[in-house]
Amino acid sequence: MSSTAPHILVIDDEPQILRAMRTILTEKKFQVTVANRGEEGLTLAAANPPDLVILDLGLPDMDGFEVCARLREWTQIPIIVLSVRDSERDKVTALDKGADDYLTKPFGIEELLARVRVALRHSAQSQGRKETIVKAGTLVIDLARHIITRAGNEVKLTGTEYKLLVYLAANTGRVLTHHSILTNVWGEAEADHIEYLRVYMRQLRKKLEEDPERPQYILTEPGIGYRFLADE
Amino acid sequence: MYRSSASSRFILGYLLGFLTFAITTGMLYVLRDYLDTPLIALLFLLPVGINTAFWGLGPGILSALSAFLGFNYFFIKPYYTLAVHQSSDLIVLIVFLVVAVVISQLVARAQAGLAAATTREREATKLYELSAALAGVQDDQAIVRIVATEALQTFTAEQVQVTVTPAKSQEWQLILPVEAMAITRNPEWTIPLQTARGMLGEIRLWRADATLEPAEERLLHTFASQGAMALERAWLTQTETRAKVLEESDHLKSALLSSVSHELRSPLATIKASITSLRSGNVQWKSSAREDLLATVDDETDHLNRLVGNLLDMSRIESGALKPQRQWNLIVEIIGGVISRMRKATEGHQLIVDVPEDLPLVPVDYVQMEQVFDNLISNSLKYAPPNTMIRISANKQDEGMLLVTVSNQGPPVPQEHLDRIFDKFYRVTDADRVTGTGLGLSICKGIIAAHGGRIWAENLPYGFAFNFTIPLTLDGTPPHTLPVDSETI
Repeated sequence: MSSTAPHILVIDDEPQILRAMRTILTEKKFQVTVANRGEEGLTLAAANPPDLVILDLGLPDMDGFEVCARLREWTQIPIIVLSVRDSERDKVTALDKGADDYLTKPFGIEELLARVRVALRHSAQSQGRKETIVKAGTLVIDLARHIITRAGNEVKLTGTEYKLLVYLAANTGRVLTHHSILTNVWGEAEADHIEYLRVYMRQLRKKLEEDPERPQYILTEPGIGYRFLADE
Repeated sequence: MYRSSASSRFILGYLLGFLTFAITTGMLYVLRDYLDTPLIALLFLLPVGINTAFWGLGPGILSALSAFLGFNYFFIKPYYTLAVHQSSDLIVLIVFLVVAVVISQLVARAQAGLAAATTREREATKLYELSAALAGVQDDQAIVRIVATEALQTFTAEQVQVTVTPAKSQEWQLILPVEAMAITRNPEWTIPLQTARGMLGEIRLWRADATLEPAEERLLHTFASQGAMALERAWLTQTETRAKVLEESDHLKSALLSSVSHELRSPLATIKASITSLRSGNVQWKSSAREDLLATVDDETDHLNRLVGNLLDMSRIESGALKPQRQWNLIVEIIGGVISRMRKATEGHQLIVDVPEDLPLVPVDYVQMEQVFDNLISNSLKYAPPNTMIRISANKQDEGMLLVTVSNQGPPVPQEHLDRIFDKFYRVTDADRVTGTGLGLSICKGIIAAHGGRIWAENLPYGFAFNFTIPLTLDGTPPHTLPVDSETI
């Protein structure tokens, strides 16, 4: 991240959205560039690399996945994709193709800002040192010492549960697709066994959440995956 | 085969006819001295009648002539000559010949009449069978199969091929028997499937014996015309049904438009009013009032978004584009998600979730299932009085189905409405009293149906319940069993 205000590139074909985003994000002390075509967005990104890209999946000239893939050819800057409801499959495809997060239109601006913050922080972290202690409410995960405590009491986890939690905690605030969790925790061969994930997430919630039916830390992203929320 | 058996039967007739005559002659020869000449003549008529009756006119005439000659040779004096001395014997002989020939002709005519009647009866029976089989069949494939099967049996054909050439679509055909080898030679018989409106196709018949009796040929043509008529009827019915469906969907579309414009306009009106108030420079808004107006705009925007979502879902269900992404899910997780999202709306009611801990995973589309619960709970909230209980339960059924019930303590719904509440735009109460597009429950029905389940409503002794079922297997298989994980950290 540069020392000046973070630079955000917004690629969307709706002039009203671009106008609103420019106004709001500028007001929130971001530097904003806008593009209403995929090709234009790629050119702008190459000419003046932004710190983050907000990309609409439904562009008129090329599909959002391609923009994602072309950006990923040369940069790891975070990409947040915008999409409409009921296109879970598109969102998952974009995420698996390198996008960092997604937002469903219409969205609240607080939600957008939270996603932007998480994405910027994560990209800063992956360049610098990693956090070894993750705190979420009364929950403390010490990744270096392999100790998890809830309200001061140690929580016992099985090997798989621990691997799962470590993966979640390393990606605090980010959406993780079913596929990426399964591949990272169980391995490529088990990537389709979403049933493992359901069962282990339930076990994990029972051990970590106050009310497993209304989780506060391990959130379900319907049709997409999970998101681990920790204190900022 | 049929022909060769007929000709051997023909020769056999003559042989047996002659044999009958020979036996009669032999027996009468032994008794010659005890019998009068007229009696012998009378007895000689027996083989003539029998032969005609059993073997037909030819053998009958043969035995009549043989009897005439035999009678003269063996029984009229002088014996063993064909000469006749007494004039009375001559008369007996002539009368005998005439009677024998007349009898054999009469019997033969009666036989022919009987045979014709039998053929006609067989024809009528076959036709009856065909029209009975075709009656009420509306599927053109089924009609063609019936015609082909009947033709194969009735005409003892080696192979039957029915080709159908519909006016607007691809030509197709059916060949029976199914395992038949390809026959390279041309079919012996080709009959068009013709109606007043034109050619609908043709029947091709391969048969070892190329010739058909006139009656059989007539029957074959009748088969073809019956088949053609049934096909035409089926196609006409299809067209009519399509027209009816179109008319109905037209009617629904206008209902949709009126419902939608009303529903979309009310949140828009609220938003417009709030925003213009805030922008007008004349009034100094207190900060609490500002907050209120902004919150209203926020809520109404969400409401509008939900409405648009509902419309989209409905059009997807209608066009068959709603394809659930079925994945293994915990029903309790889905219910929990919906309830926490609806927390504000459900504050005035008591929500109880009753799902057993050991419930298996269910193969459902998470997002669509959320919508089902959202719609069923919203509906319950609308009709159940405040501070009453809304209960959500799920249980495994014996037949590998999951039964989910969302019950409330609201008023019962009259029996005649119970099935129809899942129809589009169907409302039990007046549209003005309750908000919504009238689409929520029909979307639920569409989603559950797309999952292979069933949804229905029922009145309870103290309330009302929605029930639905969902199969517990995905493509016929239960969830994958988990690898053992016992080691603890």
